[in-house]
Amino acid sequence: MSQVLNIQDGKIVTVPEVATIEEIRDEIREVKTFYLSIDNREIWSGFKYKSGQFIMLTVFGSGEFAVSLPPSPENDRFHITVRTVGKVTSALHALKPGDKVGIRGPFGNGFPFEEFKGKNLVYVAGGIGLIPLRSSIVHALQHKKDFGRVLVLHGARTPDDLMYKENLKEWQSFEGFETYITVDVSTPGWTGETGFVHTLFDKANLPIDNTVAFVCGPPVMFNTVIGELMKRGLSDENIYSTLERHMKCGVGKCQHCAVGRTLVCTDGPVYTYRQIKTLGEEI
Amino acid sequence: MFLIKKSDVGKIAEELARDHQVYGPMIEKGSGQTFFDRADDVSEISLSAPIPSNPPKSVVFPQMERVLAYEYDRPKNSVKIEPDYKVEPKALVGLRPCDLAGMLCLDRFFMGQEFVDEVYLAHRKKMFIVTNTCVAPFKQCFCVCTDSGPAASEGYDLNLTDLGDEFLVETGSEKGAVFAAGLGLAAADDSHLARKKKIVDKSISLFEDIAVDSKAWISRVMNRVTTGFVKEEVWEYIGDQCFECGACSFVCPSCSCFNIADVTNPECEGCADRLRSWDSCSYEGYSRMAGGHNPRKPVEDRRNKRFFCKLSYSQMKKYLRPGCVGCGRCAWVCPGDIGLPNVVTYVRREITR
Repeated sequence: MSQVLNIQDGKIVTVPEVATIEEIRDEIREVKTFYLSIDNREIWSGFKYKSGQFIMLTVFGSGEFAVSLPPSPENDRFHITVRTVGKVTSALHALKPGDKVGIRGPFGNGFPFEEFKGKNLVYVAGGIGLIPLRSSIVHALQHKKDFGRVLVLHGARTPDDLMYKENLKEWQSFEGFETYITVDVSTPGWTGETGFVHTLFDKANLPIDNTVAFVCGPPVMFNTVIGELMKRGLSDENIYSTLERHMKCGVGKCQHCAVGRTLVCTDGPVYTYRQIKTLGEEI
Repeated sequence: MFLIKKSDVGKIAEELARDHQVYGPMIEKGSGQTFFDRADDVSEISLSAPIPSNPPKSVVFPQMERVLAYEYDRPKNSVKIEPDYKVEPKALVGLRPCDLAGMLCLDRFFMGQEFVDEVYLAHRKKMFIVTNTCVAPFKQCFCVCTDSGPAASEGYDLNLTDLGDEFLVETGSEKGAVFAAGLGLAAADDSHLARKKKIVDKSISLFEDIAVDSKAWISRVMNRVTTGFVKEEVWEYIGDQCFECGACSFVCPSCSCFNIADVTNPECEGCADRLRSWDSCSYEGYSRMAGGHNPRKPVEDRRNKRFFCKLSYSQMKKYLRPGCVGCGRCAWVCPGDIGLPNVVTYVRREITR
């Protein structure tokens, strides 16, 4: 077989590249972060991705799944953050530092950051919905001068379910970055906000003009947040999300991720709400 | 253009069998059904057999195929991983024009999109195609509605047309021209081409009224499906009749959805063959994600998806033609009677109401 075809447009298409798990960190219940690097140094140094793209991760002896990339494309340690939801993710969680996995990708369109210059960025993340947005948030932080206000609004079920707690703390102290946090159900010792994530909008004095919003989270939260944003006057073309679908190939062939006339793997996973509305399918 | 005597036409397959595995339509003893399959004895290939029950897609896109294999040696912490699939030169003799159209859909989809599927490409590169003009339509055929028959117009290496006492041999590629020249055949002229035209015209005139009648409707229905103007009730009506058996996808010459699974070896924990196998959008598990969330749960959502694939302009842009090639097999196998012609009828009923 020709190795030329395995790397197409800088992406690993068919045969996964072997990678090593360098470190594993516990995040919240059932969620861990895996720091990875591809063993082939040449391919690793050419492995470039954009915020919003994803990879296909092989757990040897188990299978492969699509997973978003939380690190910023620049100056950030490469990692994935995964919740145990099924067979393959559970097999991944059973691995130890030093173990091998396989990587294909990166795939997908990514966020069109060049269109966001000079705009306010509003990130609204419910629960582990913060994972696919992290890359974009860190990128915005690294290029803060290119943007107006940058707000991160994160809601989780309980204080124990808040994602990337250390990052949230860092972001809070970063000048010009505004971070708002809330939980649905407080636990003893919780002194912060209680309520769904959209209840933070007033407190945050949410910008609407010249603003782009990124929404990611469970379907119920998504619909509520979108409704609230639109009510406040944000147009559907300025609301972005990344869709999640059952994926097998990642390169537009198996068709499992077809939504409307698009494929999440090649046309997505990043869509504007205007696009999502025309797809004719549930989130 | 050449001519080959009817009694000699078998020589084409024999000649190709020298350096190809030959596939073609053969009538199964016992059942009397035609199947497109590997011919261990090329004399069994029948150019007069009815359209095969199965499309030829498994030749280029096997129903189940290993694409790679890996071994994770845990004690040594090393991984051996390599592509692993079997490709051999194949000759397809007696392919019907609709089936060729289906294969061209697959070509454009697997090789002409953003990414090239190297496994498909490997199969396809080593293929020789001999098509066979349909001198008369078969039951359920409607290729006249989908611009894919009864004669092939592109994509073949050789095309045969039964002129009665002899076959007209047209060449459609450099490879085909070289091969035909090597057979030492008599040359054909414009009069033979005129005879072919007459035969094709006659074939078109023999199509069932329903097919001829539907011709203009296909494009109107495509317009409706593309623009999303088909009412939800119509999809529900269609979905209510779906048994979710997946047969339509499996017999469709242009359906190419597949699943991928790592099949492990019980004797080696970290070893597996990565297999890809045909899948169908009619299955409930098709879009179900780990954790159980399924964005496309109701059956009509899934049915709608298939017909969108066959009849929408957006899919046409990928295939450079309609996704349906008019072979009629889905109508043949569907236990719920929602083969594509009936779906067109239901949508049409909505338009005319």
